[in-house]
Amino acid sequence: MKSLTWMVISLFLVCFIAAGLLSKVYTLTKIQIEKTQKNNMLMRFSEVLPGAKKFQEVVTDSLWIGFDEQNQKIGIVFEVTPRGYSGPIPILVGYGVDQMIKKIYIASASEGLKETPGLGLKVKEPQFKDQFSNKMYIDLKSTKDGGNIQAITAATISSRAVINGIRNGIDRYKMYLVTDSTKVIQ
Amino acid sequence: MNQKVNRLKYLTDGIIIENPILVIMIGLCPTLATSISAKDALGMGVAASFVLICSNIVISAVRKFVPDSVRIPIFIIIISTFVTIVDYAMQAYAPALYRVLGVFVPLIVVNCIILGRAEAFAYLHNIFDSFLDGVGKAIGFTLILVVMGIIREYFSTGAIFGMVIGPKFLISNPMLIMIFPPGGFLLIGIFKALINKFIIKPGVAD
Repeated sequence: MKSLTWMVISLFLVCFIAAGLLSKVYTLTKIQIEKTQKNNMLMRFSEVLPGAKKFQEVVTDSLWIGFDEQNQKIGIVFEVTPRGYSGPIPILVGYGVDQMIKKIYIASASEGLKETPGLGLKVKEPQFKDQFSNKMYIDLKSTKDGGNIQAITAATISSRAVINGIRNGIDRYKMYLVTDSTKVIQ
Repeated sequence: MNQKVNRLKYLTDGIIIENPILVIMIGLCPTLATSISAKDALGMGVAASFVLICSNIVISAVRKFVPDSVRIPIFIIIISTFVTIVDYAMQAYAPALYRVLGVFVPLIVVNCIILGRAEAFAYLHNIFDSFLDGVGKAIGFTLILVVMGIIREYFSTGAIFGMVIGPKFLISNPMLIMIFPPGGFLLIGIFKALINKFIIKPGVAD
């Protein structure tokens, strides 16, 4: 009987201490974590849309409008996650008001990219991803399909996924370039 | 005197004679997953080492109060609390480190080495001995992980720690098998054979 009581009490105590400790650590670090994440996001946005200083979220977690110092709209940043060879490929695209892609950012393996190392993972390398800079919508096809993007050898599926993902993203979000942003936000 | 020798043995055993990966053969899943490059291997090794040493100390400290019948749930709560604290603290105060190690931290919870040492050693020994055992096993784990990482990264990309040093033919025709789990198994097998041949003579072990 005594051992049963002690069993319950000891398990309860350990859980209680662990829960208390965790909630303390959580509240202590929460503000700092949110600040770092926001900074990271801003840094990444201004990387794909050079010149933009302020961003306004239009569609939660997938579309932001970028403004420069004079509050002029200079483009949009959107995120698409097409299906790659072994999982989704998260891509952040900066698309200017001149209808040209500025830069793209592809998430690293620690942020959820699951492509094969040495093959599909090469979508992250500058040789592939820098091809998208200053391309228009019509250029977005692999050279085999009559476009302007050189696919990665032996990783056609991953290359196509990136190209088509960006095309679909532009299809879906290009209207936000022309519409007045104040009307878009309800 | 004899006691001192024994204590030192707790520390040194973990490195080769009782190496967690090659001899005890636990924690193979994170080993295969993270030893694809030297940098990843080192990251996993450091993160797991920290949790292993801390959990060994705490579990040894509370071992007299923990009833036998509920020891496993208590170990798991202690280990996962540590892992979560490491996760939050790193995310908040060392974001650069978190970008490299972040993906491995949640993996530590399921690393059998930590639960294995809690059950097989820390629960039965005092705090100092458990600390020594934790340090020894941590060194052994990290060492093998990094050596495997260097070999697998070299043969699959021609680079070590991201610096390209390999010959041209290796870069244009990498041995892709080394990136995939079979390459990891092959290496573990080779290491195991070498250790059995030269360090643990057959028939002596067990």
